[in-house]
Parts: sequence; C-alpha cells; structure tokens
Amino acid sequence: MKNNLKGITLMSFFASTLLSTQLFGANIEQLAQDVELLKANLESNSKSGFQLAGYAAFDYSDKDFSGVKFAPIFHAKYGDIFQFEGELEFNVDSKGETVTELEYAAGTIFLNDYMGLQVGKFMSPVGQFVQNQHPSWINKLPATPVGFGHDGAAPTSNVGVALRGGLPKMGDIRSNYVLFVANASVYGKVEDGAIEGSIDANGRTSSNGAAPTIGGRYAINPVGNMEVGISGSFGQISDVDQSSSTRDYSVFDVDFMYNIDAISLKGEYVQQDIGTSDISSFDTEGGTWAAWYAQASYLFAFAPIEPVIRYSDYHNPELQRNQLALGLNYLFASNLVAKLAFEVNTNEDSAVPSDGLYNEDILRMQLAFGF
Amino acid sequence: MKNLIKITATLLLLGGLNSASAMDLSKADIGNGAAVWSDVCMRCHNVRLPEDLNKRAWEYSMNHMRIRAGLTGQETRDILAFILASKTKDDAHN
Repeated sequence: MKNNLKGITLMSFFASTLLSTQLFGANIEQLAQDVELLKANLESNSKSGFQLAGYAAFDYSDKDFSGVKFAPIFHAKYGDIFQFEGELEFNVDSKGETVTELEYAAGTIFLNDYMGLQVGKFMSPVGQFVQNQHPSWINKLPATPVGFGHDGAAPTSNVGVALRGGLPKMGDIRSNYVLFVANASVYGKVEDGAIEGSIDANGRTSSNGAAPTIGGRYAINPVGNMEVGISGSFGQISDVDQSSSTRDYSVFDVDFMYNIDAISLKGEYVQQDIGTSDISSFDTEGGTWAAWYAQASYLFAFAPIEPVIRYSDYHNPELQRNQLALGLNYLFASNLVAKLAFEVNTNEDSAVPSDGLYNEDILRMQLAFGF
Repeated sequence: MKNLIKITATLLLLGGLNSASAMDLSKADIGNGAAVWSDVCMRCHNVRLPEDLNKRAWEYSMNHMRIRAGLTGQETRDILAFILASKTKDDAHN
C-alpha cells in the first residue's frame, strides 16, 4: 500500500512538473509574442524619437598621421511634420587640441509635400559640394577641392531661415529649390594680430551691421541621373573690425552631377564678390574669390575599386593656385572607404612666396566611415 | 515683423499644415521609389543598401535626404516604401 502511495505521489509529481514545464514554455512563447507586438506598436505609434548617424575619418599625409575627425549627426523628428538635424565636427589639430565646430543645427517643418521651412544654422544652399559632398565618406578624395574648404571661395553655412523642397514633376523632369534669408557674412580674418582679407562665410548669429544675405538655388534633373543647379545670393558684408564698413556682397554658382552607369561626373564653379569700402582699415578695394572643380570617377564591376581624377582651381586677390588630384579608392562597403591620393599643387602667382603651403605635391591616405 | 508673420501665415495656408502622423506609406509607389532611389541617391554618394540601416533609422535618414536632396514628400515615401519592401527576411526584424 505504501509503495502504491509512493508510486502515485511520484507520478503526480512528474505529471505536474511536465505540465508546468509545458505551460511555462507556452507562457514564454506568449510573452515573446506580446513583447514583439508591444515593440511593433511602440514603433508605429511613436511620433517622436531620435537617431544617431554621422561619419569619421582618419588621415595620413606628408609623413604624419595628419587628421582625426569624428562628426556625429543627430536626427530627431516629430511625426512626419518636423525634423531636427545637427552635426558636430570634432578634429584633433597638430598641437593635440580638439577643435569643435557646430557644422549645422536646424529644424525643418514640412508644410506640405513641396515645402519645408528650415530655421537655424544650415549648410550653405549655394552649390552642391559644400552641402552634399563634404562628408568624408561621400567626398571621393581625402581633401576638398581648392577653394571649397573653410574660408575659400564657397560659402560654408548660414544662420537664418530657408524654404526648400522638391517641385511637382514637369513631364519626366524633376526639380528642386531653396530660398533663404540669413545673417550677413564677415570680411577679414584676424591672424597673428593682423587682419587678412578673407571672407568668413560661416553662419553666425549676427550680421555685424550689414544687410542680410538673400539667396537660393534651383536645380533640374533633365534626365534622371543628372542634376544641373544654379544658385547665388546677394546682400552686404561688413569688416570684422568695423561694422560701419559695409560693402556689397554677391555669390554666383553653377553645378552639375551626372552618373552614367559606373562613371560619376561632378563639377562646380563658385564666385564670391565683395565691393569697395572707403573706410576699411585693411582693404578698401574688395575683389573676387572664385573656384571651380571637375571630377570623374569610375567604379569597377570586378572589384570594389574606384579610380578618381579631379582638377580644381582657386584664385582670390592674393593668390592663384590649382591642384590635380589622382586617387584610388577601395570600398570595403559603400560607406567604408579607404582612399589613396596624390595631389599635384601649383601656385600660379610667382609674387607669392613658395612657403610650402600651396605648391607642395602631397600623398594622402584616408579611411572614411559613414554611419 | 508684420510682413514676416503675413508670409508665414500665407505659407501655412498654401501648404495646409501636415498632421503629426508617422510616415504613411499606404499610398506609396514602390516602383517610383526604386526609380528615384536609383537616380537621386547615387548622384551624390555610393548606394546605401536596405540592410545598411534598420527600419526606424531609414525613416529618419529619408527625412534628412528629403531636405538635403530636394525630394518631394511623395518621393520620400516612395523611396522609403521601396527600401523597406527590399529588406530581406533576415533583416526584417531590424
């Protein structure tokens, strides 16, 4: 009898354990399904949220590990009516100090399918290199074309308001536009206690006594994989040390991009003009800052190798220089690129002393990653 | 200042302010999305594949590209629908 009772007890124990194990397994499965459903609901019901993107690049040139760049980009949105985006750029300089710059920080309200109202600091809508090609993983060579970097011929950024978007198609032709009003740029850069004649077209929160800059860009796609853009702006610019010394200021730019199968062609011409000022303490004459580049690249089908050739030219009242850059890229992935390039730099103006800054041929290497 | 208010109000009336919904892809044209993706994205940069980002990140990135590349809202939704439809089963949970 005792043995029977023991047997019944043991059987009951095993049966209940088996049952609870099955129930437990079913509960876990149900729980997993509930979590997935909850996650899906949260995803689809979240009107606001954020995402981190950005890029990083590591450079070697002229016997030095010459550059470390980290540029995180923050995207936040509310539904499909608002998007904020901001890019910080961290660089390490030759003294080991970290240089930080707010490249852009702007919010865009999407008014409808064809209009976005953008406010804040945004990349200059003039041209396409500064706005669209500047991230290291997109630029097909380690350096920018001459005249398209900071304080060159191409404006870098603006603080103001812009209306932008794509337009309804005209037949098969697509087009897009940007109109903007922004604070004026400043003329003159303080270097070693003296003021150099240089246009500071980085967005700032003051017009320094000058009239605002008004401008825009219009671009069409005559065929699907081609874009031709024309852009410009006008207004005033004042001297960095004297807000009452205002001058006329204008920018003109034409650009194109064309992809033919694996061939990519790009080019741009940009010109900034500033007028005269009778009361300027360092430059009464003003002048023209102009630059252009033409670039071709080809992505081989048999291997992710991409040769690149680019010619660029830059002149301003104080210098004339050009550069021929030959590059060879290896794409580990579309957003992870190793670049090798040789730049032939020429200083065209013999009056400017050859200080090694503008007329040295340089071998550059870069690893760039966009994320 | 009054002019600025007038201009803003006119723009809002012209535009008809969108409602704050998540991106509605129910009327997206996947075929057009594929065509615009192929033409527009590769003009500036190497092609980014659907598996490069998760679904949520693609929505933010497409808003970013709408601003930067001058896409219309419909083109943005078309491209996003194409990308999400192209994600393979292996990365569908992302």
